[in-house]
Formats: sequence, structure tokens, C-alpha cells
Amino acid sequence: MNMHNLRQLQLHSQASSSHPPDPGDTSAAAAGRWAAKLLRECAAAVAEKDSARIHHLLWMLNELASPYGDREQRLASHFLQALFCRATDSGDRCLRTLTSVAERSRSFESTRRVMLRFQEASPWATFGHVAANGAILEAMEGEPKLHIIDISNTYCTQWPTLLEALATRSDEAPHLRLTVVVTTGAGDSVVREIGRRMERFARLMGVPFEFCMVGALPRLAELREEALKLREDEAVAVNCLGALRRVSTDERGAFVAMLRSLQPKVVTVVEEEADFSAGAGDDFAGCFDECLRFYTLFFEMLEESFAATSNERLALERECARALVGVLACDGDDGAAGGDSERRERATQWCERLVQAFSPAEFSDDVVDDVRALLKRYPAGWSLLPARAEVPGLYLTWKEEPVVWASAWKM
Amino acid sequence: MAGDATSKALQQVPYQDSNPPPVKKKRNLPGTPDPDAEVIALSPKTLLATNRFLCEICGKGFQRDQNLQLHRRGHNLPWKLKQRSTKEPRKRVYVCPEKSCVHHHPSRALGDLTGIKKHFCRKHGEKKWKCDKCSKRYAVQSDWKAHMKTCGTREYRCDCGTLFSRRDSFITHRAFCDALAEETARLSAAASGISCVTSVGVGGGYHLAAGGPMRSSNLVQHLSSIFKPVGPAGAESTVDHGGLSLWAAGQGPQGSDVSVGNHTGLSDLHPLGALHGSANLFGDPFASCLNPQQLDYQLSCVYGNKVSPSSSGDLTGPSAFSSAGCMKEASGASHNLPAVSVPSLYSTQHQQPSLPAPDMSATALLQKAAQIGVASSEVVPSFLGSLDPKCSSGLQAGEGSGKYDSFFALNPTAFSAGFSPNSINDVPFLNQLQIFSARQHVPQNQKDDAEGGQTRDFLGVGVGVQGLCPPSIHGWI
Repeated sequence: MNMHNLRQLQLHSQASSSHPPDPGDTSAAAAGRWAAKLLRECAAAVAEKDSARIHHLLWMLNELASPYGDREQRLASHFLQALFCRATDSGDRCLRTLTSVAERSRSFESTRRVMLRFQEASPWATFGHVAANGAILEAMEGEPKLHIIDISNTYCTQWPTLLEALATRSDEAPHLRLTVVVTTGAGDSVVREIGRRMERFARLMGVPFEFCMVGALPRLAELREEALKLREDEAVAVNCLGALRRVSTDERGAFVAMLRSLQPKVVTVVEEEADFSAGAGDDFAGCFDECLRFYTLFFEMLEESFAATSNERLALERECARALVGVLACDGDDGAAGGDSERRERATQWCERLVQAFSPAEFSDDVVDDVRALLKRYPAGWSLLPARAEVPGLYLTWKEEPVVWASAWKM
Repeated sequence: MAGDATSKALQQVPYQDSNPPPVKKKRNLPGTPDPDAEVIALSPKTLLATNRFLCEICGKGFQRDQNLQLHRRGHNLPWKLKQRSTKEPRKRVYVCPEKSCVHHHPSRALGDLTGIKKHFCRKHGEKKWKCDKCSKRYAVQSDWKAHMKTCGTREYRCDCGTLFSRRDSFITHRAFCDALAEETARLSAAASGISCVTSVGVGGGYHLAAGGPMRSSNLVQHLSSIFKPVGPAGAESTVDHGGLSLWAAGQGPQGSDVSVGNHTGLSDLHPLGALHGSANLFGDPFASCLNPQQLDYQLSCVYGNKVSPSSSGDLTGPSAFSSAGCMKEASGASHNLPAVSVPSLYSTQHQQPSLPAPDMSATALLQKAAQIGVASSEVVPSFLGSLDPKCSSGLQAGEGSGKYDSFFALNPTAFSAGFSPNSINDVPFLNQLQIFSARQHVPQNQKDDAEGGQTRDFLGVGVGVQGLCPPSIHGWI
């Protein structure tokens, strides 16, 4: 494949992204996905350690990629970075730098903006929020004192609607204590500010509220019951949204067992449907393929949900880029950068782990209806897939592909 | 209990206005029945039964007495039987059979049979009817129908000015909104000054400050007391200044005619708006001195959720969220106080203390990567470069090869010789990228965060449609 062909491919894809190719035009449609082809070839070369070929393909990708271009260019750009790190064995260092850059540029303002706009544009995150909140409210019905342990990536954007529901559901709003578990990457000061906002909002809602933070945890796997300071009279709910994947693969069993020791009334688990657990070390090509599949979907979804020049979209894509470096270019599963890994697993795999300590709590019809109503408020393309026999919970699907899985568990 | 003539309803005198807001119909407040009325306690089964009125001839059931009478005519009864019993109609009130309910006690009985049936069904009945848009549930079909008409058509406005079509986004936004933070901070500061003064109170309204959980009907009662004309001029001039300045037409502390003017001014604006304005009064200024329980009920007026439609006349659900908007109108329209209140409330964006810049310039990032502890400088997200496609492809054509230039140029044989990480001077790709993009950066629009929550694009204008429509509606379309 020479540069001339590639340029043509690229022009084709740029044209086709503005005018969707008609079904008969297969060459254009195929050309629209030039990044995947190139990237796969490069990944194969990396797996085979074919230096010359790697060099050649990296150079070509470099020519075509851009984090500010269309979806193909962005995919190419971020995967290129991960592949480069893999090829040059600089994954750990790169990840460390990327993470510290992200941490330093993170602020309450920027976090809020990205999260809220993402939730406006796409139900990717809010799907999990609505399902989890519904399960929590139903499990805690009648409890006067609630303690929600929030181990998630939501930055508390999940809780305002829950607070509102608590305030309006019953005449006497229960007392709510919210403990947010922060791993150092998330930014203590940002979470503290968020906590202040939550307190104010709860006061506005008329819900007796207490905000606690468990910070300074270098890794999620190091969370212990003592840090949570549980109280006798509280009903505990554990909210794990996008959290379990941050625990290193071999510590996940112990983590689930630790959760059980908290004796929760309900555990809500929401994870993205992808399998990165194999690890780039063992099966690079396979892991790469799965990453490509998942992130292509995600980038496609971002492209359709946001304007091309959206800052928020860029911020989210950069997060993906970091995750990619961690999954593809770092062999240590504990996210050698001293933070957490991002090795996602599929619902079936999570279920295998969770049934060791919990039993599934099905979402009630009311909660499913709530989720359906939520999806109606977003543009087309999103749908719901209810639980199958082996796998409890709900899937969110994007263009028929399951992308996010939500579930609830009890003791 | 049924037919017990001696069970008198508690004496409660609703406040009467001499300058009442223009309400449609004068009613007794809900759950404050005529003391001489006969109290009837019907069973749940009776209340839920849909066809209570039975024809004695054929046994056919009807929902309403009128329908039954019409039907009976069809039986060609002899004249005598057609007449209803000549018993003098005695006023009847009904209690709710649910023991834990407020309306279980005769003093809080409801005066209307339809009312008690609806109340029982709504509060204690099974919610069979469901809106498929927002999945809100209703026990009474007419409530559900009424909701379906308005669902999805309502818009919510936050104090910061952003408009929302979705309730859940509105709530989430509100929780994080700076306007909320400023408002509660300012009002809790102001409240500590007002609280002692207003306990003297205009009518019964400010008695909220004194204990006891509020019932929604009491709240309505107290709200109507706001409009009670004030007594001696001297006393309330101070009170008016302190208490009303936050939301009233912004007249100065001048005396009773002015304060009366305040009232009518407000009530002229919009009957619901006025009520909501005062609802907000309770909600916000007393945020710090009332206990959460009371705040809960007061704010339930603002959000209109707990107040059941049957009991609170004007304060019904559909208008609930307009309260924020109404308050804005109420105080914004007639406000001319020199004091801090409104300007800081509605122009938070301009008064935002400048926060430490969240993003760093490319050069600074690079320096940081090289040495630790460099202080961060002003914000420039480095990806401002390529806005138009021409520019981006230009970047690639002209400089694309330069992105990893140092790597490829310095060590053309790097790959064949084996990989040497040092060849790129330990600077990761991201920073290299940023170096190039920095050449083309446009100074960031500092008001990015502060413009009513809208995101600006790189050139400082709204991004196409997004610039015109608030972000929330974009998600809805």
C-alpha cells in the first residue's frame, strides 16, 4: 500500500463521513474504514516483531492520523500512540506522563463540563445512573438511614436525581450518607468541591445528607472496610460504576469478597462490554482486535453525539488514548503508572466473579420502564436489551451492539 | 364515626385578604371542613369502587348519581318513586380510612365525595397508569391524562439562565450549577441578618421560623397570609425592608402603603408567580435557619411534587418549575434595589472569581515533563489548532511528517537497529503533538465556562447550532 492510495482512501473517507455512502458503493464504504485496516496490519507487525514493517506502517499512520480530524483519523492517532509505545517499550513512562498531565489539567470546571455535556449528548453514562439509582431506591425502600458507597467514575453526577427522588418519594426523606472512594487519579480537590455542591443540593432538596471521602488510595484494590467507617444503623448500598475494571485482574476476586464483607443491601455494577482482560502480553493481536472493536464503536458514538470541534469530545477521546496505552503498551496489570488498570471484562465474566459473593437482583419493571423512557430522550440508535438467562441485568445497545451492561446484586 | 353529629371539625379560620390575589374560585382550604358538617367514613372498597350508584330496579351501576337518575327515568317509574328523598341536604365531609393519613382525622376531613375518592386513590391506591415518556405513575386516570398532555412540552430554566427540556438534566445541572452555590452562600449570609427581624412577622407567614413540621395545606395558608395587609406602619417598615427586599418589587423601606403596593405589584404580575415568588422566599432565605424538614415542604412547593393536586389549589405540578423562572421575573422585573441581591444572583458569570487556569500551555507542559515543579501558567488547551479541514490536512501535508520527525530523522535506522527510546528525548507523543499545535493556537476565550453554561468553540463563537441552542436542547434533538 503506497501513500498515494492511502491519500485517496483518506479523501474518500472524509467525503463519506459528510455524505453517507450509498449501500451499493462498497469500495467507498470499505475505504471509509482505512484506519482499522492499517492499524490491524501494524498490530500484526508488532506481534511478529517485524521491525521494518512496523516502521513503515507507523510512518504511514503518522502521516494520516490526527486527533482533530474525522473519526478514522482520531482512531488512527490514538491507536498509533499506543502502538508506538508498544514498539518502543515506552508504555509505562508514556502512561505516567499522560496521567500526570491529565491530573494537573483537571479542574472542577473542566470535569463538570465534560461529564454533563457527555450525559446530555449520549445515554452511555446516564443509562447506568438510572438503572443503578432505580435498584438502590427499591432496595432501600423504608430504610431511615442510607449509606451509599460510591466507587465510580461518575464524579457524583449520578446523585442529584437520586436525591430528588428521595426527597419526593416519601413524606419523610431518609438520611443519606454518601462516601466517595477516590483513587489518586481522580483528584482530591475536585472531589471535595463536588462534595460541597452535593451538600448544598441536598439541603435544597431537604434531604439530610452527609458527605464523606475516602481519598489517597493509590490503587482501588487497596480499599478496606475500615476506611469506610461503617455504622451499625445504616443500610449500605455499594455503587460500582466503571469501577471493577480498575482493579487489577488477579485482585478482583478479593475485591468482590471485600465488598461482601460490607454486608450491603444492594450492589450496583455497571461496566462497558469489552474484554481486555487477556492482556497485551499474552495475546497482543487478539487484545488489539477487541480494543479496536470497542473503541471504534465508542469513537463513532462520540462523533455522532458531538460536534466535530467539541472540547468535551476531545477530552473523552484523550481519556481513551490513555486507557489504550495502559492496555496495549503496559504489561503490568496494575496500571504500572501507579494508578489503576482499565482492563474491561464482559458481563459474563463479571457475573462469574460476582456470583461468588452475591446473587442477582433483577431490575423491576418500573426501573426498566424508567430506562426506556430515558433512551427516548436521546437521538435514535440507542436501545435496551434485557437480561438473558445466564446473565442478569440490562444491556445498553448502540446500533444493535451491546456496549454497556448494568446489573444489581444482593447478598 | 359515620353520621356522628357531634364530631365537630376543628375551628380554623382561613386568612382573609382585603386585597386578595385574583383567584378563580373562593374555596375553603383543603382539609379544614365546616364545623357543623356530618362526618362520613367510607371504607376503602367503597372509595375505590367505580360504580357506586346502583339502580334498584335493574341493579346497573353508575359512577355518578346524575347518571343513575337519568337511567332511572328510563324505567318509567310511578311519579312518587321518581322523587329523591326529601331529607334536607346536610353538609357532609369525608375522612380517609387510611389510619396513617392526615385526612383520617375528622378535623382534616375533605368536603367532597369525589375529592376523598380521588385522594384515597392517589395517595393509597395502586398506580396503574403510567406515562411512557417519563414513566411517571398515576393512580387516577384523569391525572394521567392531564399529565400526558403536558409531558415533554415543559421547559425548565435554571437560575443561571440555561434552558432545559429534560427534567433529569435540569436537576443534575442545578446540583452543580454555580448559581446554586452563589445563591445559597449569599442567602445564608443574608438570612442570618433577616431571621430575627422577620420572626416578628408579617401576618402568620414568618411563623415558619418557629418549629413544627409543615403540612402542605398549612403552607398554602401561610402563603396567602403574605398578602395580608400589614398592621401599623412603623413596625413593618423594618420588616419589609429586611424580609421582602429579596424578592419583592424593590421598593425601599418606606411604610405600609408602599408595602401594600409591594403586594399588589407582585400579585398583579401573575397570581401563580406571586405565590411561587413567596415560595422561593421560604425556600431560600431561610435555608440556613430552618430545619430540613420544613425546607423540604417549602421546596416541595417549588418543585410541586409533594403537594397533592387536590389539596393545594394553585400550587400544582405543572407550574412548579416555572417558579424559578417566575421568581426571576418577579424580582428581575421590578427590582431596583441598590443591594447586592439580584445582580449577583443573575450575573454570576460576570462575577465569577477567576479560578486557577485548568489547562496549561503546550510549552509549560513540555517543561513540566522535563522538570518537576514548574508552576502552571495560563490556560491554553493546545488543541485549538485545526478548526477547518483545510487547516488539518495542511498540518499533515506540511508538518505531518514533522510530528515524529525527530524520531524518524534522527534515527532512520532505529527500527532496524532495534528500538531506542532515547531518540525522542523522552518526550511522549502527546507533548510533541502539542508543540506543533501550539504554533497555531488561538487565545482561549476566557469566558468559556462562564457563559451561562454554553461551550464556545475555538474562535469564541457558538458551534453552529449549538451556539444558538442551549446545550441541553442539543441533546434532546
